[in-house]
Parts: sequence; structure tokens; C-alpha cells
Amino acid sequence: MLQAIKVSKGTKGAAIALSVASALGVSSLGAPAKAATPVTISVVLAAPPLPAAMLAEFTKATGITVKWTQLDWDSLQTKIAAAATANTYFADATDVDWSRVGQLGKLNWFLPMEKYIDTKALAADMPQLSSFSKNGHVVGIPYDASFMVTTVNKVLFAKAGITKLPTTIDQYTKDLNTIKAKNIVQYPLNIPFAAAEGLSTYWYETTGAFGGNILDATGKPLFTDPKSAGYKAAAWMVNAVKTGLVPPGNINVADSQGQQTLMAKGKSASTFSDYSGNVGSLYDVPASSSVVHQVQYLATPGVTGTAANLGNPDGIGIPAKAKNPEAAAKFISWFTDGKNMADFAGANGISRTWVGYFFPSRLSGIAILNKKGSIIGGDVLAGMLTNSAAVFPQGAPAWYPEFSSAVYTNLHAAAAGTMTVEAAIKAMGAVATKLSSGK
Amino acid sequence: MKKKVDLLPYFLVSPLIIFIICLALTPAVFTTIAAFFKVQPLNPPTHFSGLENFRDILHNAEVRSSLGNTFLYIIIGVTLSTVLGIFFAVVLQRRFTGRSILIAVLILPWALPGVVEGILWTGIWDANTGVLNSVLKSLHVIDHYQVFLGQNKFLTILAIEVVQVWQITPLSTILILAVLQNIPDDLYEAATIDGSDAKKSFLHITMPLIRPGIAIAVVQAIIATLNIFDQPYILNGAASTGNSLAMETYAVSFTNLNFGQGYALSLLITLFTLFTSVVIAKFIYKKVEY
Repeated sequence: MLQAIKVSKGTKGAAIALSVASALGVSSLGAPAKAATPVTISVVLAAPPLPAAMLAEFTKATGITVKWTQLDWDSLQTKIAAAATANTYFADATDVDWSRVGQLGKLNWFLPMEKYIDTKALAADMPQLSSFSKNGHVVGIPYDASFMVTTVNKVLFAKAGITKLPTTIDQYTKDLNTIKAKNIVQYPLNIPFAAAEGLSTYWYETTGAFGGNILDATGKPLFTDPKSAGYKAAAWMVNAVKTGLVPPGNINVADSQGQQTLMAKGKSASTFSDYSGNVGSLYDVPASSSVVHQVQYLATPGVTGTAANLGNPDGIGIPAKAKNPEAAAKFISWFTDGKNMADFAGANGISRTWVGYFFPSRLSGIAILNKKGSIIGGDVLAGMLTNSAAVFPQGAPAWYPEFSSAVYTNLHAAAAGTMTVEAAIKAMGAVATKLSSGK
Repeated sequence: MKKKVDLLPYFLVSPLIIFIICLALTPAVFTTIAAFFKVQPLNPPTHFSGLENFRDILHNAEVRSSLGNTFLYIIIGVTLSTVLGIFFAVVLQRRFTGRSILIAVLILPWALPGVVEGILWTGIWDANTGVLNSVLKSLHVIDHYQVFLGQNKFLTILAIEVVQVWQITPLSTILILAVLQNIPDDLYEAATIDGSDAKKSFLHITMPLIRPGIAIAVVQAIIATLNIFDQPYILNGAASTGNSLAMETYAVSFTNLNFGQGYALSLLITLFTLFTSVVIAKFIYKKVEY
């Protein structure tokens, strides 16, 4: 009965709407469709838009228009969480960061990609795809294979009389002190100590350089012992700001800000944990840099020699409330195509190069780039790629965001001098212990 | 005889009532109910938990720290914006050439989003490249660049709150100016004839008669400072030196995904806002008749 009433009301409403439309002269109502409705999808990423020419090609081939929105990484994660918890539409395709895979997989906030793309066929050509899977579902497709690297301004190092670049962290620290002592630059090292995600990432990379991991397989902290790599890394970072290697003002400098205002302006000689691709996309770009062709990648200095570079891949997925998941999937297929990725990385000229893009996540894309010889610092990066490792070998835990928040707020406080390194590590360890025990 | 009901007034206010019901009352009722439930998507199921969220949130060290910070924001922000609001209102009371332009310029910061203001002021406070450091150094006030944000809690909160005061003072000014302009000139003329100077006129005529405007300005300043978010987030990140209650609500809800505690904290903030607004209205607001 209730259903009948609803239908009756609906029919009446439709009839009224039709009458009103007719009265207003809306002649198209009821007419047969002449062409397929054009589809526009919203893509939101923490990256600038793709080259307009390439997006136009995609639209021409598929009839799908892409509305691209760029947000900063931290804000984007919040918007994804807010929209998902409110059960509302946010975007048709958006960021799936490696660090969020555990959480997103558990919460089912993203549609399983294997439903739309043949991910099994993709796996062989995309080594990092496995780290974007949770509970048997692929949460997102990695679109680049970036990792953390050390960058050095070789001109500033040379001015200090350093001709052989460091291979160990002790030598690296000694060289930075030499640069400071010779007053080549006042603050030779850039560490972004603002209480934001970039600080956590920096600590992970430094911990790797000191030869350790952050968490064990069960999520328990591995950094609370003063002899542990994580503890030493935190102490090294905080000591760098206390001894004047890092500008005191960096306690409120975020990662990209430090790269743009310090490294790219020649005010710092090195960033220990930089983003792969920054040499080509930032430091060698005259419009944004005063150190063009001065900065190079350096194999991460470790305790006894070269250390691993931590993987920092970016992925893209389809939120559960996407309005056009099929169209979004078509875009993701095109976006992660090996040839297109090679174009993004500069294989076919500047008009097809995506600003800030680093390295294809598909081996076929890398093969095209290698053939063309068009990777800036390619020989060094290729070696680093083979030496890259995951931050959490067992996969990022579902509670990663809360843990990371504890990491960056406490490390920031230690750098600002409002708490000791010991207290900061203790607080970070307590959070990891509590979260991993499910409390 | 049946009295005819005039529906026009109800019709005219209905959009506002619908707006309030949909966007204020419904979420408020939902939040109030949900504050008594454990809502953690990562740790289901959702279930009734009584006062547990309130107890946990009050035992949370970060929340307690942000509570202390927020009180500082309120004290600094309400005091500065009210004093400056009175000052600007008195200056703008008299008609002079360019007054309208000055009022328009004064309103500009109020029209800007907090995020934009935060970014603008980053260029001023920045310890590596900031304008303030550059000016102070060129004037030989300092010999090396100073860190204004992140090291000293009081200095951090003061620097952040200055940015918000810059934003909210225009509204305080306009609210007080509106009341000020209603004061009849006869009162001042009579006082002058009786031997009152400008200072006495201000203290014994202006100040008592602008109390309604001050009360509204203080309430809006309390609401703004209690909910400060954009400025500390942009200028100081999530650091505990400037973390506010609103930022902590955000962190608890969207970083920790503990929505039950987030609702509880939101409810406490709302109740505090209501309580202080009522107290302010009772003690400062006074109906004035000329």
C-alpha cells in the first residue's frame, strides 16, 4: 500500500513537472536523445594538472572531460576522510597514498580497482601494485614510483673544499659542519620541522639511513631504545637544529616550503630526505630556482655505506561515492598507461611533461624513458630505485594517520626545545604501542 | 467570528527557519545524541557508551593542552578586538573626508578567509625570510632573525591571535559604531555646557550607552576565538604550542577517526559558547533608551 501511494505521488509529481516544463517551453523534454551525455569527472590530487594537450587527447578519445583540482597533501587526506565518513561525494578519482592503504582498505572508502581494471595483468608491469592491496582488494593504482632521496648542492660542497661526496652519515654530518664552519652558507641542512606529514617522512628516511625500521610486523615500535636506528635518527635531526646546521626558523617550515625557499635558493646545501624528481622539476627550473644545474642526487649516506631509499609512491583510486566510477576507471587506465607515464616524465618534450612528475610506476614506462635517455640524473636514480625499500615492510597499519600525527607533533616539539628527544620518543612509542594493541 | 490568520510573516521567515532547522538544529541534535555513542570506524561496532567519550576526552593530554591555549586565544583576542573596536568606532564616529573609504578598507580583513590571512601573515612572521625580521634587523633592533612561532607558547599564541584580531576587529568596530551613531548629540552638548571635557563625556556618556554594541562584539569575538582553526593551522601546523580546541576536535575526528569523542568535544565547545554568551549578555548588555 505504501509503495502504491509513493508511486502515485511520484507519477503525479512527474506529470506536474512535465506540465510546468511544457508551459515554460522546454521543448527538449521527452525528445529522443541525440547523443550520449558528455561525462565530466572530478579528479583531485596533490599535484598540478596534467598538460592540457594530454587531457584534451583523453577527452577526444573517450568523451570524458576531466575537471582537475589540486590540493595540498594534508588537506586532501582530511577531505577524503570527511567525505567518506559523511557518506558524500567528493571526487571521482583521488589520491591513495601508500601510507593510507591500510586504513582505506579496512574502511572500504574506495571501490576495489580489480572490479574495473585487470589488475592481475597489470601486476607484472607494476612492481609496487602489491603494496596498494589490502584484504585481497586493490585500493588504488600507483601512478609514480617516487622514493626519498638525498640531494646536495655540489657547488656549495665544492666551495667548502669537499670534492668527494659523502657515503656515510658520519661523513655527511662532518661535511655539513665544514660548510657551516667555512661560512659557505649559514645553515647547510634543510629539515622541515613543521608539525606536518613531511616531518614524519623525513624521520622514516633518516631511520632507514641509520639502519633500522619504525615498527615490527605486529606494529610495535622499534625506536624506543636509545641504541635503535629510530632513536638515533631523531636525535641526529634534533641535534642538527640545536647545533645550527638547520635554520632555527625551520621549526615552522614544511617540506615543500623548505625545498622551494632554502634548497632552490641556495640557502641550504643539502636535504637529507628530499623527493625524487625535485632536481628536474624544481632545482633545475630557472623560474623557481637560483641553483640551476647545481643540485644532484646522492645515494643516501648510511651507517657504513649507502643506505636504502624509502619508497614513497603515489596512487589513485575511486572513492566509494564517486558519481562516475566507470569513467573514472577509464581515466585511471589512461593515466597509468606506460607510454603516457613516459610522456609525463619528459620522454616526448615539454608540452607533454607533467610538472613535478618523477618516475613511471610501470616498467614499460621506464623502458621507454631509458631508451630515450631522458631522465635527469637517471643513472643515479636507477640505482636508487633498485635499492628502495618500503617504510613499513609489513604494510602501513590502519592506524597510521594517528601514529604519524604523534610522530610529527613530538619531533616538532623536540626541535622547538619544548621537550627532550627522550620524551618525544617515549610519547611516540606509547602511541604506537597503544594503537598496535588495539586499545 | 473567526479571526483571519495572516500567513505572510510566517511565509517570509520560513526560508530562515528551514535553513536553521536543516543546517543548525538537525546537526546539533545529531551531535548531541552521537556524543554518547562510541563511533570508531576502525574499531566497530558503534554502540551506546554513556559518558565514556566525555571522560576520555577530558583525560586526553592534547585536549587539555589545547583547552589552555584556547583560553589564551579568547583572553587576548576578545580584549584586543574589543578595545580596538571601541577605538576605531570612536575615530570613525565623526564625519571627515575619506571616512567611507576608510570604513571599506577597514572591513577588508573581515572579508578575507582565515586561510588566506594565515598565508599572508606567514610572510610576516616567518623566521627565515619574514618581513618583520627583515624590518627589525634593518632597523638594528635585532642582530639575527628571531623565531616568533613554535618555541614560546605565549608568544606563539599572541602572534597567531594578532592575525585573528586583524580579522575580527572590523566587525567589532561596525557593531559598536552602529550603536555609537544612535547616541543623540544633545547629550554631549548638554554635558559640555555642564563643564564636561572629552574624557568625561567618553567615560560617562559614550561608554555606558554603547554597552549593547560592546556586548554583541564581545560575544562574536568569543565565538570566533573559541573556534579558531585556520590561523594556527596555517601558521603553526599541528604543534602543541598553538593547538586550539577546534583543531583538536578535527584531529580526534579526522586523524584518529574517533568520531564519538569528536562529537563529545564539539558538544562541550557548544555548551561553553552558549554559557559564556548568556553570561556576557547578562552582565554587559543593557537596554539603552535615549
